[in-house]
Amino acid sequence: MSGNKELFKKVCDFLGCDLNSPPCQEIKEHLKKCHNCEIFVDKIKKTVEIYKKVDECDSLPENVSKKLYAILNLKNPDESITNTN
Amino acid sequence: MLLNYVVLESNNKKEQELVSKAKQRDKNALSQLVSLYSKRIYHLGLRLTGNEQDAEDILQETFLIMLKKINQFRGKSTFYTWLYRIAVNIGLSKIQSKKMKYHHFSIDDLDIEKIHSEHIHEWPKLDFKNVSTKHFKKKLDDALEELPEIYRTVFILRDLHELSTEETSKILQITSSNTKIRLMRARNFLKEKLENLVKTEGLI
Repeated sequence: MSGNKELFKKVCDFLGCDLNSPPCQEIKEHLKKCHNCEIFVDKIKKTVEIYKKVDECDSLPENVSKKLYAILNLKNPDESITNTN
Repeated sequence: MLLNYVVLESNNKKEQELVSKAKQRDKNALSQLVSLYSKRIYHLGLRLTGNEQDAEDILQETFLIMLKKINQFRGKSTFYTWLYRIAVNIGLSKIQSKKMKYHHFSIDDLDIEKIHSEHIHEWPKLDFKNVSTKHFKKKLDDALEELPEIYRTVFILRDLHELSTEETSKILQITSSNTKIRLMRARNFLKEKLENLVKTEGLI
């Protein structure tokens, strides 16, 4: 049981790390054998994936950008590129 | 992998050159730095506060501080870590002063023993057309705002802005293991919320 606790702790640690990095051999083997843990890890990965995907849609509104450059008294370099083209 | 490293190194070098010129009040370099990071800082503010006006305030205050204090940047961290730290501090003080969505409850650790004893169903294959709808996006935003700020900030920096554990820890001035624990709890909290959405609305 103490071995299990140690392994569970490692699974928890893995879930707080970079999910795209391969887990250690011990967790890999456990995930192969344990369907529940495999599904659980997959759901966590999908949750992060969904949030990232939905998040990509957000952009900086044009009026916010214009106000920012005006306050900073700077020229928007992206606008100069557009204008010269 | 090697290509990514080369691109990253080249970006870092470009950034260092810009910062160096910006320190000498080169307006073009300052503009380039604003252009490089304004979208990310606005987005960070939006996610932290859930409010467009506050996000705009955070954006403006961050870059005003950058203009004022860029000479104090010593290069001990990357420039964007330094900039993120300014933005996060402004955002957190805004949340605290307004007591906006400031939840004090803590989230329990994962109960992996329980996971082993339950019957867990798989989610169906993802369809991004369904998750990109306004309705679904609102549900995801609501779930994120429900997260207590200490977990939400880590999730935003690590998973949405793809900062490393070390960078996130530096910005929030917490240990790496604390960052990992908070991230694990945040991910699990949001997974639970998503699980409920799957059950109640069959959105995925």
